[in-house]
Amino acid sequence: MEQKEGYFVENNTIVINRELTELDLFVRDFLDILKKHSDYLVVSGFVSISTGRARGTEDIDVLVQKLDKEKFNELFKDILKNNWWCYQGDTLEEVWRYIEKGESVRFAKQEEMFPNIEFITVDKTKPAKYFELTHPQKIRVKDFEFKIPPLEFEILYKEIILAGKKDLADARHLRIFFLDILKEERFKEYKLIIIKEKER
Amino acid sequence: MKLKQIPKTDLDYVEIYARKLKENSKFFKQQKKLIESQLKSSSQLAKQKFPKENFKITMRNHLKKIGVLKA
Repeated sequence: MEQKEGYFVENNTIVINRELTELDLFVRDFLDILKKHSDYLVVSGFVSISTGRARGTEDIDVLVQKLDKEKFNELFKDILKNNWWCYQGDTLEEVWRYIEKGESVRFAKQEEMFPNIEFITVDKTKPAKYFELTHPQKIRVKDFEFKIPPLEFEILYKEIILAGKKDLADARHLRIFFLDILKEERFKEYKLIIIKEKER
Repeated sequence: MKLKQIPKTDLDYVEIYARKLKENSKFFKQQKKLIESQLKSSSQLAKQKFPKENFKITMRNHLKKIGVLKA
């Protein structure tokens, strides 16, 4: 049988050579709703896991462009209508008190706790997160295409800001797996943004 | 791929696996099994801890207790 490499790049999209997992389907279900209402970016653990890191996760971090109350309400209603529930509450008022302060909320499938989506709103007051949200990298697994941060940004964020054992392992995985396409000049550029974030 | 030295740390193993996966996508099959098995386990664990009856109420009370939700 022909041996295939782990990924290839096609029209600036990274294509991962693997089958979809149940975790992919979970994330895709949520993004299908979210994309109708807002821009987004999938960050952190799922970036490493979707590209091969052999570890589990219970939450998927999704950055979302900050919405006003009316637009968030439309999104919130759509999410609930599609059989998801929100940890923080069943009504707009309950959930909005988190969103308006820039605090994250979590969504899971009805009667499930795990996995869940950590819904993190982002605007210019969070410069590093805003930068990655507005500089996405497309990635595809089979017919599931989604947006992640630039790889170099994700690696540095894990190494410098998060820096836990799991994060350093994720970063090492990304550095090795994507060795052929990582660009040194991007590391230099993004490091400045991330160092600034750390000093905030 | 031949190993240059004997792996010692967790990061060494992460590196070996990433190299193998980069060269040969068949290793994704093992990763899929691991991810799906972990998902199943955590879902079952949560169902045991928070039964279907009053699921949201029990869970939110728990989350308030541990400080994740506002009182």
